[in-house]
Amino acid sequence: MSRFLLKRFGLAVITLFLLSVIVFAASQLLPGNLGRNILGPFASRQDVAQYNHAHGVDRPVVDQYWTWISHFVRGNLGQSLQYNVSVGSLLGPSLVNSLKLAALAFVLVVPISILGGVVAALRRGRATDRVITVVGLSLTSIPEFVTAIVFIVIFGVLLKWLPVGAAWPTGAGFFTQIKHLLLPSFALVAVLFGYIARITRAGMIEALDADYARTAYLKGLPAARVIFRHVLRNALLPTIAVIATQTGYLIGGLLVIEKLFNYNGIGQRIYVAAQNKDFTMLQSGVMIVGLVYLSATLVADILYSVLNPRIRYGGAD
Amino acid sequence: MNRKSMREADELRRLAGPIEGNVIDELVDGEMDRSTFIKRASVAGLSFASIGTILEAFGHPGIAHAAVAAGKAGGRLRLGIIPGPARDLEPSAFADHGTLATGSICGEFLTRSRQNLTLAPELATSWKSNADGTQWAFNIRKGVKFANGQPLTAADVVATYKRLTDPNGGSSALSAFKGLLGPGGIKAVGDHTVVFYLQAASASFPYLTSNTTYQAIILPANYQMGTFSKTPQTTGPFVMTSYTPGVGAKFDRNPNWWNGPALLDGVDVTYYSDNAAVDAALLGGQLDLISQVNYSSDRPLFHNGNVVIFSTSGAPHRQIAMLVQTAAANPALKDYRVRQAIALAFDRDTAVKQLLGGYGDVGNDSPFAPVYPSTDKSVPQRHQDLAAAKKLLQQSGHGRGFSVTLTTEKFQEIPQLAQLLAANAKKIGVNIKLNIITSDAYYGGTYSGGATGRGTTPWLNSPMDITDWGHRSVPNVVLTSAVHSGGVWNEADYSSKVVDKAIADYEAALSLKDQRKYAKIIETQMLHDSPYIFPYFFKWTQAGSKRVKGFKADAIGTQALGKVSLG
Repeated sequence: MSRFLLKRFGLAVITLFLLSVIVFAASQLLPGNLGRNILGPFASRQDVAQYNHAHGVDRPVVDQYWTWISHFVRGNLGQSLQYNVSVGSLLGPSLVNSLKLAALAFVLVVPISILGGVVAALRRGRATDRVITVVGLSLTSIPEFVTAIVFIVIFGVLLKWLPVGAAWPTGAGFFTQIKHLLLPSFALVAVLFGYIARITRAGMIEALDADYARTAYLKGLPAARVIFRHVLRNALLPTIAVIATQTGYLIGGLLVIEKLFNYNGIGQRIYVAAQNKDFTMLQSGVMIVGLVYLSATLVADILYSVLNPRIRYGGAD
Repeated sequence: MNRKSMREADELRRLAGPIEGNVIDELVDGEMDRSTFIKRASVAGLSFASIGTILEAFGHPGIAHAAVAAGKAGGRLRLGIIPGPARDLEPSAFADHGTLATGSICGEFLTRSRQNLTLAPELATSWKSNADGTQWAFNIRKGVKFANGQPLTAADVVATYKRLTDPNGGSSALSAFKGLLGPGGIKAVGDHTVVFYLQAASASFPYLTSNTTYQAIILPANYQMGTFSKTPQTTGPFVMTSYTPGVGAKFDRNPNWWNGPALLDGVDVTYYSDNAAVDAALLGGQLDLISQVNYSSDRPLFHNGNVVIFSTSGAPHRQIAMLVQTAAANPALKDYRVRQAIALAFDRDTAVKQLLGGYGDVGNDSPFAPVYPSTDKSVPQRHQDLAAAKKLLQQSGHGRGFSVTLTTEKFQEIPQLAQLLAANAKKIGVNIKLNIITSDAYYGGTYSGGATGRGTTPWLNSPMDITDWGHRSVPNVVLTSAVHSGGVWNEADYSSKVVDKAIADYEAALSLKDQRKYAKIIETQMLHDSPYIFPYFFKWTQAGSKRVKGFKADAIGTQALGKVSLG
């Protein structure tokens, strides 16, 4: 088990290193000269050169990379070129916001879609199954900005049940924050429900058809016990893997949702940074999302191994 | 006319400086109507009381001081600013809507340009020029305090304007003051008078001290760059209490405001980057006011019974440029008759109706917008005339039509404008192919050097293009930069000796009569040469809920909220 974890951890570190190199290289490749972009087309060549020198972008690339990454690992994310304040002071609250939204969406979508998948599998081929599958698939195939706008118009503008902006007033309590996050979470549930329910349904059906499930039924165990003790445990393995891969999306990839609900999340920060060529913010933002993503995958791997003895005892890898 | 007011007017005429005197004479001669007189006299520095006296003396109705219905005090206004500041909040470097809209909630200027382009006193109480308009003296208001408690003096104004005109200080206002005012030309005389020694005569200089130059927020002499959003140090109705880049800002009522106190308890600003989000927030009751809306991108707010549109005529516009001579020019477009034909084929009335929802004034192919007092309105308005257009094409030898590529940016209604123009041109056999690129790409590249001296940027080097232009209180910047043969933004590479001379004369002209005379020359010649189509001038539009009372939109986009209340 510890060997397995160590190996996974090592792989995560290597992935992060590669990610940092790619992000850094990509931002170097973005068109335009930093000084020219900030100072405008009419600035003199000397001013541009002076600006670039002051911001260190005229030094060798490897040198620049080392400065950035060595500061990054020590928690110093540098100054935002765009706003002239420390990147940490901007990305920190944004990351917390993103985590809050992701957490609420996660808490809503996981039980609902697992329940949906289980029910569909148990009622395989019947009307309930069809309704769950068709509704889930339809919702997944509609882009999130469409579902989000429909939700905003119905619940926010027409019925006025829920606030249309995800940003809560300063000093708002726990429940007010939840209230503001409900609409965007619903939009995310709509996107992910079909996907997770479908995987759960497939896993369930496979497990229900397996010999051990038949044996359990035949030896007279009550249905609930068969499902919770024997079937679910095996059926959920692929579901966990899928949910883990969606975590990265839930934290770093919600640009559209964040824009529509005007939410100060990390996705929007990265997007604006890319638009305004704010490299320090862009690089650190992407690295943080990468970190979160890899941590989520690591947690999923551990969970996987807990549920699957073949991995735990080193039988399979 | 009564004897007393006649006597007072005579007295004023005697005391008036030469520019003020000119304005008064033009009213007496009947060359100026009442509303134009008010506009011009306010720029020249006459007080509103004097303007009223003169009007009454010469048989015009005086200025009705419509009592402003006192709004209900209290409440916090929730303002959505879109897009939010793209940069650090540093007044002298303001260059985008987000920064200027935010800064204008707490900051004030020497003067304020109002909706009808009259100039009202703000931190200056009066101003006056010398005989030839090369020196302007401003009297600074007494008893004003900055939010940090320091009193406002002439030294603060001098320091502010030195920062704005410092060639090495990163000021965005440099282009406005270029050739007019340098740091050496700003002097304090005593504690409450500032004199601006101009490098060239200008009758419209006072406009540059208003919110038109939105960077010109008066700050204390000991202001440190980079502290604007950290320490409150402005004079306005509100004090900034918090600011988070990309998220929002908070303002509280300034208890010591000289013109106050403000009716609102405060203003809560939220920054938006998405039109659908800001529209939904207003419709869903989470915002009271949006800093700018646009008919093309915020359609649900227009013609909606629950939304009030605050608008004002202005001069933001589009310019459809046709390169007239550079190597990149289309051979057919080098002929003025072809350019005239395209301008005549274009249906500008439909454009205003369909693309702007009626919130705009039709343009007449020169920078002279209907809102400017100096515009000569006797010059005939150009309308669509397909028969005349076809005839011109025939005369030029292009009767069978030709093809040309129009390059423009994907910004607001511009792609639709390009399509409308292409559809109109098709009717006379001209095939306009559209190349619509991002704004970044359109304005990207270099602006000088290369074979043509015009760099590589698409907007100065395409045979046809459409560019977005912001509001100016006077047409001077557009004339010198886009129409004059030496202009740095002369997209059409237009060069006319007649127009160049008329522009110089126009800029030096002190009386409205003379300005109109030169405006007419420019307007007429530009209609003939047609290097540009000016399809329309926008009205500035903002949207708010019905609760917002007493708000007046400003064509520059500053947000003056001191007298606003929530009903």
